[in-house]
Amino acid sequence: MQVFGPSELLEDVLNAGLCIGCGACVNLCPYFRSYKGKTAMLFPCSRETGRCHAFCPKTEVDLDALSTAVCGSPYSGSPTGTYQQVFMARAGEGAGNGDFQDGGTVSALMKFALESNMIDGAVLTGRNGLVPAPGLTTSAREVPAFASSKYTAAPTLAALNDGFNRGFRQMGVVGTPCQLTAVAQMRTNPLQDANFADPVALTIGLFCTWALDTRGLLAFAQKRAPGEQIRKMHVPPPPAGIIVLETDTRTLEIPLEEIRPLVPAGCRICPDMTAEWADLSVGAMEGKAGWNTLIVRTAKGNSLVRKAAVARYLELADFPRENWKDLETAAADKKRRAFEKARQDGTVNAEAGCRAALRVDPRTLEKMTAD
Amino acid sequence: MSRIIQGAPGEHHLFMGNEAIARGALEAGISVAAGYPGTPSSEIIENLAADASETDVYVEWSANEKVAAEVAAAASFAGLRALCVMKQNGVNVASDFLLHLAGGGTRGGMVLVPCDDPGALSSINEGESRHFARLLEVPLLEPGDFQEAKDMIKWAFELSEQIGNMVMVRSVTRLSHASGDVELGKIPESDAKARFRHTGFILDPEQGAMTSAPVGYKHALQQEKLQKAEALFEDAPFNTYTGPENPELLVITSSACHLYSREAIGILGLENRAGLLKLGTTWPLPRQLVRAHLEKCGRVLVVEEVIPFLEENIKVLAAELAPEIGAKTFYAKRDGTLPATGEMNPDHVICALAAIFNLEYRSAPEQYTEKAKLCVLAGAPGRDLTFCPGCPHRASFWTLHNVLALDNREGFVCGDIGCYSMGMRETGFYTLKTMHAMGSGTGIASGFGKLDRFGMDQSIVAVSGDSTFFHAVLPGLVNAVHHGSNFTLVIFDNSGTAMTGFQPHPGLEVDAMGKPAPPLDIAGICQAIGAKVSVCDPFDLENTRDTMLETLDDRQGVNVVIFRQSCALSPEKKGKPRYEMHLDQKVCMGENCGCNKLCTRVFKCPGLNWDEKNQAARIDEVICAGCGVCADICPAGAITKKEAG
Repeated sequence: MQVFGPSELLEDVLNAGLCIGCGACVNLCPYFRSYKGKTAMLFPCSRETGRCHAFCPKTEVDLDALSTAVCGSPYSGSPTGTYQQVFMARAGEGAGNGDFQDGGTVSALMKFALESNMIDGAVLTGRNGLVPAPGLTTSAREVPAFASSKYTAAPTLAALNDGFNRGFRQMGVVGTPCQLTAVAQMRTNPLQDANFADPVALTIGLFCTWALDTRGLLAFAQKRAPGEQIRKMHVPPPPAGIIVLETDTRTLEIPLEEIRPLVPAGCRICPDMTAEWADLSVGAMEGKAGWNTLIVRTAKGNSLVRKAAVARYLELADFPRENWKDLETAAADKKRRAFEKARQDGTVNAEAGCRAALRVDPRTLEKMTAD
Repeated sequence: MSRIIQGAPGEHHLFMGNEAIARGALEAGISVAAGYPGTPSSEIIENLAADASETDVYVEWSANEKVAAEVAAAASFAGLRALCVMKQNGVNVASDFLLHLAGGGTRGGMVLVPCDDPGALSSINEGESRHFARLLEVPLLEPGDFQEAKDMIKWAFELSEQIGNMVMVRSVTRLSHASGDVELGKIPESDAKARFRHTGFILDPEQGAMTSAPVGYKHALQQEKLQKAEALFEDAPFNTYTGPENPELLVITSSACHLYSREAIGILGLENRAGLLKLGTTWPLPRQLVRAHLEKCGRVLVVEEVIPFLEENIKVLAAELAPEIGAKTFYAKRDGTLPATGEMNPDHVICALAAIFNLEYRSAPEQYTEKAKLCVLAGAPGRDLTFCPGCPHRASFWTLHNVLALDNREGFVCGDIGCYSMGMRETGFYTLKTMHAMGSGTGIASGFGKLDRFGMDQSIVAVSGDSTFFHAVLPGLVNAVHHGSNFTLVIFDNSGTAMTGFQPHPGLEVDAMGKPAPPLDIAGICQAIGAKVSVCDPFDLENTRDTMLETLDDRQGVNVVIFRQSCALSPEKKGKPRYEMHLDQKVCMGENCGCNKLCTRVFKCPGLNWDEKNQAARIDEVICAGCGVCADICPAGAITKKEAG
């Protein structure tokens, strides 16, 4: 993995329009800040290498090196990444209630991880109107306040970096695939500086096919529902092809085609639907309202799930085989589209001397993009 | 009490040009002096104000130059002698009134002293005021040394009363701010009585109404006054000639350029070949006097700064006289003999003379020049203009820069005139993107703020100082509110006209003479105009940032945010740090990822410097003003502040 500095980050990501505002570069230093869903560089920084560049999920992500570091073997290109087991899951009675998007699995697991002291703080993403509001909480009681899907690209990792600055060294992070790609890179301590050792004890990934630009969505909502507050968003499974926005008084059904222009360019080269670098990945459960899909990827994740189930924080059920097939197809489609787009843009495996967004063994790339 | 009123007639004193001008005004027996601060003019009013209780002169810093001219004119209308002072571009501000004043005439002597700034040493223009004399059709005098600076003022008042119109006496930086020997005259006892006589026939210049109408009659009268002045100029004591009877070259000059020319002729040993005609009365030109000199010489060099004012006027005269005195060869600015811009200096004149006389001249051996160039490049540290340690503007621009970056819509700041003009440079993080005249930031922002209909979605901020606010921002603000323009006006209220030396303005509780005055509340005025107003302390970075982000998001009409924090050099603050600052070099992250010298590379307060040996920042305790802001920007917490005891 090649590490460059803030100037390259500015050129290759921010100025190139690839930034998805994940917050990985924010709060590491005085130079990168996030405001209303957008990351800004306040002043130039002359360093040749920096964590900002090393963590960014949109530049020089070496998938083979990352997979070797996280899973012990090079990137296989399989649609849903490396995993141990898949469940249907939902919050158990021990986890309490909340305004969950689906089954409340993530909230239940984070509450349990906090209460069992597996983590010293939970990095979560709340919402302030339509503007995502990341935060770090040490209290299990506060976890449900962050529940429900945001659909907007969120600077969640700004809260993680802030937690690091405040001395947290065992944090649990809930994030989208791009965010957890950044966290996975962060955990390898790319600058090899003892001061920047891995501060993360648990990662829970959220399935994601795309996100929406916060400012774009704000403007869109202002146009479609002037003066109204959007309370909840929801994308029903295909073939519905709509996004549902709920305000205080009504429900707006908006064709996905209308909001697609609000998807940041950076999402279009994202090859990860199921958050492959996480300990656990959670998504909706097609055809089973009130349940989640739960992918267990690591021993650590497995241990947490088992303990949470025993403590009745989590309810588990067998995952239907046909659902898995659909999931794999969707995940493989996203991978193919992403790598094709990156190849078109010239941002995968760039020539020697040039920088790339993604790097992967050309044979794996061939396999993933084959029809 | 200033030293300009001390000293008996006949004594010699070392006076700055501006002190000589002020003394001259006192010797002329003025009753009123008004002006607006601006380098290089400010010391004239300052000195008169300092002595106001002794001299009985009414002195004020007016809200702007136009008002200053009006205040002085009122005194003249009431039969008193009045002085009006401003820097070069102040005349632009006052010019509308001045045109009408010149058309209508004056009663008590009225002298306008504009101080020009050739080379723009303390300005962002080197526009000059002399051409206003021609435009306004009033007499123009230019002192050529310090004695003349004093004597000419007194003479100008007499002239003003003889012709019944205003007289301009133009100074320049090198005269206003340099010092020289001045022999004092007498300051008369004052028994001035003011009465405006207005009940006479409308055309009666002494008893009627004061106005420039009816124009046909008054304009003709005005030109008669000018002709009268020209006649008096023929024998004026300020026009002198030195040199041979029939010189090979006639050098015609005025003002400080007279000193450069004299020096240049001396250095080249041309005293017997070149004649020096130094004019103190430069508009209208004394025709007979100039003719007498032109007649004796075929070649003429005109030395002046900045625009070819004297050159063109002399050429017009020469063209008119050509059938009688023959055609002349001119060397000056228009043919490139002398530089067309910037300050004049002896070197320029020497080079011009050497070229005309075909002389070899080197100011220094070539070897020396080459070596000096190398030394300058290698040895002289780069010193950009910078805000002082503890200056509120650094913190203010820090926040403005950052909120516009966070706002991320390519927002920008329309700048204005004050120390904060330096916000265009590194010390203000290159935040200002337009800068023109006093008050122009707000007017320009008012225009930008209406361009949303053409797709402009950038955030717009204007800035203004507190004194500038009263000077020229108000009309722009009124315009913006009335037309529903969208922008944020930030007023840097540092409690005084800081750049020019803390002259009071209408927002303060004291006037120029040190007497109590009712302060006008900027926030209240803005509210009354209909703007949304908030107040911040720019040293409170967090609150200021949040307030600014909120206003940038508002986009509904005009927001005014007042950044209130006194200038670090203000008398009540100077030498009294609020905090004792401490920097722990062990905690400093230096060049590491996570900081990379934010305080010494970007923030760049002169009170912080980089310790090469320890690879950490350190505080220069000698100049640190203890504002505490650096403690709040340090990402490592290496800088701490403690309330000073």
